[in-house]
Amino acid sequence: MLLQVKHLMVFYENALALNDFSLEVQAGEIVAVIGSNSAGKTTLMNTISGLIQDIQIKEKRKGGERLTILGEVWLNREDISSARPEQRVQKGIVLCRERHPIFPESDVLENLHIAGYLRRRQEVRETVDFVFGLFPNLAGHKNQKAGFLSGGEQQMLTIGMALVVRPVLLLLDEPLLGLSPAMQTKLLAAIKTIRRETGVTILISEQFARPILPMIDRGYVIENGMLTMSGNSKELMENPEVVSAYFGV
Amino acid sequence: MYIRKERIDRGVKARTEDLFALASGWDLLYLLAPRLLPILVLLLLTVTVGPYWQKVLISTAVFALLAISWDFLVAAGMVSLGQALFFGMGAYLTGILNHYFHWPIWLTIPVSTVLGGALCTFILLPVLRLRGIYFSMITLVLPLMLVRIIEATKIFGGTEGISGLASYPGRWLELYLGLAAAWAALFAFRRLLNADYGLILKGISDNDRSVMSAGINIYWYKAQALFLAGSVGAFAGAFMTHSYMFVGMPVFALDYSILPIAAAVVGGMGTMAGPLLGAFILVPLSEVLRGLGGLRIVIYALSLTVFIVALPEGLFHYIQRKYQQFERKVKVDYE
Repeated sequence: MLLQVKHLMVFYENALALNDFSLEVQAGEIVAVIGSNSAGKTTLMNTISGLIQDIQIKEKRKGGERLTILGEVWLNREDISSARPEQRVQKGIVLCRERHPIFPESDVLENLHIAGYLRRRQEVRETVDFVFGLFPNLAGHKNQKAGFLSGGEQQMLTIGMALVVRPVLLLLDEPLLGLSPAMQTKLLAAIKTIRRETGVTILISEQFARPILPMIDRGYVIENGMLTMSGNSKELMENPEVVSAYFGV
Repeated sequence: MYIRKERIDRGVKARTEDLFALASGWDLLYLLAPRLLPILVLLLLTVTVGPYWQKVLISTAVFALLAISWDFLVAAGMVSLGQALFFGMGAYLTGILNHYFHWPIWLTIPVSTVLGGALCTFILLPVLRLRGIYFSMITLVLPLMLVRIIEATKIFGGTEGISGLASYPGRWLELYLGLAAAWAALFAFRRLLNADYGLILKGISDNDRSVMSAGINIYWYKAQALFLAGSVGAFAGAFMTHSYMFVGMPVFALDYSILPIAAAVVGGMGTMAGPLLGAFILVPLSEVLRGLGGLRIVIYALSLTVFIVALPEGLFHYIQRKYQQFERKVKVDYE
């Protein structure tokens, strides 16, 4: 068992964002968390990656929302619930945040080098080559400022930046957001290639169930912060409730 | 079982547009007390303290005006490091009008307020297109430059300054004019920022391109904000000049730029009331410490640091939250 999330509960002040949410990810799997907007997907991703602690501290400091975080996150049979975000990255959990947060003033290559700063040069060089092989579009723009890339290219760059860190568990938060269907297909093919070539375990949160469900091993459906359904790819695709809620038929 | 603290708004906040839904006299008091109490306390202070502390109150009001004007500019996305520019501009204008043209005090102050604001806006117009640090740097440098110009060209009394300016008809008028101006600026700017006009200014600070997308000329609005803030700063300068009956190079000193920022940070930015509160803490504190000689700056700096580290949101935000919300413990059903 690579990742175990046990009974997560997250409050933003008085609003309950995650309600007793549990999930498990085996090594080498691609697992999806499917949910509509405001279901709690991003909160889940932030809690697994530990970023929520940073949000909690910053909000507390400026007297904003108070966050209450309950529950446990286990990685490789080790409780990492209180580990700081950067410690979790060292253990191999790397989050690719939603809405492609790149460094707009730096070029593509510089972005990748910033992400790989703590890695050995040789490793970074190898991964950068791998990323450019995976996304030929990026290779063509490697000296262009990242802020001027298209949305799809920025998403590719974000995933590339996560890969440079050499994750054991790659968290992808809404990777398909704002992409055209053609671009979505390309990106999902790339995600499959990533798993095949690097053996990394992938946890995706997504609201577009139709393109995602066929390519995953298992999936969880989250609604209003609660787990409503789980199963393998086939079970979820044939489930009438999933079909009516996410396939629009 | 886990116990969590829950924050709940006190009921009176429920309102539609500008209409408050008041159910009782207590509700009315709840709304009025935080607005009236400071004024009453202050009025009481003015009649109980001696002339020395009355002078301190006046200079506190001046710094409060500068701090409010700084906070307003920040709300519109312009971080000024040179409130002394506004202050000095108003001070010199009123000095010139009074000394060379023999205008009476009730004319020099309003004219230098408006003219000072307009001049500062005009000088800063080319910088309006710059964002962030560039705007700050220019505002920091301009007052320092003006001092050197006055020193080098020996205009307006040069290093000697202009003395023997008209003073106020009475010290009570002087005191209450200063305090009334500070409170007028406070309520006016708070009102303005809560109106749609203020939302545009806040929008410019948050995401100027989105404001442009709404078809709004952001530079025109920034210039207006600059004029308003500049006028308040210029008023502070003009007011202080007649209080000292003297204007000279010190009006462009760094104190007038830095202390308002410190006051805003201690009191809580973005509220106008915070900077005013900050000024009412820092200026008297600085006076109390005056007896300590060289240690004064050390203790002053230390207390400033402690304030900012312990309460980065600012004192006013903290008080406001405690006043508007109460907390209660709730159980979380959790195994």
